[in-house]
Amino acid sequence: MKTTKTIFQQGNHKWVAIVRDPAKPNFIVDTNEYLITHGGKGLILDPGGAEIFPAVFSALSAEFDPTSLVGIFASHQDPDICSSLALWLEFNPGMRCYVSWLWSGFIPHFGGTAETFVAIPDEGQDISLEGLMLQAVPAHYLHSSGNFNLYDKIAKVLFSGDVGAALLPAGEDGLFVENFDRHIRHAEGFHRRWMGSNEAKRRWCERVSKMDIDMLCPQHGAIYRGADVARFINWFDELQVGIV
Amino acid sequence: MTTDSLMMDEASSVLAGVDLLRIVRINEEIKRVVGVSFKINIMALNAIFLAKRAGTAARGFGVLSNELRVFSQDLRTSMEALTGLIYGCVNAVSVGLQDMRYARLLDEASALASDASVLAVLRRRQAQNAVHAATLSSLRGKLKRALEDAFQLVELGGVLAKSAKIEAAYGQAFAGALAQVSGEFDHVVEEIRDSLESLRRSAFFTANRG
Repeated sequence: MKTTKTIFQQGNHKWVAIVRDPAKPNFIVDTNEYLITHGGKGLILDPGGAEIFPAVFSALSAEFDPTSLVGIFASHQDPDICSSLALWLEFNPGMRCYVSWLWSGFIPHFGGTAETFVAIPDEGQDISLEGLMLQAVPAHYLHSSGNFNLYDKIAKVLFSGDVGAALLPAGEDGLFVENFDRHIRHAEGFHRRWMGSNEAKRRWCERVSKMDIDMLCPQHGAIYRGADVARFINWFDELQVGIV
Repeated sequence: MTTDSLMMDEASSVLAGVDLLRIVRINEEIKRVVGVSFKINIMALNAIFLAKRAGTAARGFGVLSNELRVFSQDLRTSMEALTGLIYGCVNAVSVGLQDMRYARLLDEASALASDASVLAVLRRRQAQNAVHAATLSSLRGKLKRALEDAFQLVELGGVLAKSAKIEAAYGQAFAGALAQVSGEFDHVVEEIRDSLESLRRSAFFTANRG
């Protein structure tokens, strides 16, 4: 079973990280899921693949009523992002799935109906969770051609999808980055290979460096906090990507 | 998930996979029958021309050749209906496989979580699975009945081919040529009969489903 950790809380506004499952088979890539709650409703970010649904569900339900989930934010279209969609919809068939317009015809292969999907335009959009305004931030080509991050300006948290991801070895898989230089070695190969465009990367770095971010939360690996956020953005800006 | 339910789930999944394989084999056999029925159509057309050349002595043969042509068209229509049912069965087995996967994942979730909602969802899912299983069972029955109808049709084709053999003997100067054609009819219809007989015995219909 996965573990949960509340990484931000202000009244009923919470960010919960759902991470690390010791029972997960090694051939399935490890993923982080995040739950944002506000006003008794929840939005789950990149809920993960179908095979890890039991672990994510059980961890989430220990923290939050799963029938109060009203939305899924899918940063992009990969199976480790949201192939569990049909299973989550079993709990609330009226749940909406926010995804790039580019993938709104592809993700339905994982489940849902025409009413399920909210197609996010390339420039991004605001997403309301019981009055809490979240912002879908463009991160196209990082790595998917239709790709979004999600920013919460109240919590100052940026869910960054695959940006900032690291494939961590056992024993170095803490929830937060504690030693940036040591950690970033596990992120370098991933970013060089998975991120397809230096130009897109440049634009993303410019965009997010203007944002007030306390925590940068990737879908794999550890969370960057405080000064490590700017450190990561600068590191990424310098990195040459799209290289095999 | 209990060991017993896990084993049952795996067994059902294997059975569904085997069913898919059986359906694929049935479909391949149906495609073969369609090909052969097209051959009968061409043969019957040639036989009609031959009977016309033979004149009054082969009038009966001509009537039977025409009936065999109608038979080949009926057989194709019958095979089209079977193909439609096969498509339905493939769809139902695929849905069943997905049902099993989702039920397994929800079952695992309910074993890990103490949340009541997952049990309600699991029960709803199991009820849907039962509906899907009933749909497959109904399609299986329809396919079996359609196959029996096709088999009866082929029995009629066999009678026509054998009657053509008898009529060929009255063909006077054309008797040899007519006997050869009617022999080919008989051979081809027997080929179709064997194909359908093997389909009737397919484990897709006969396997014990407890």
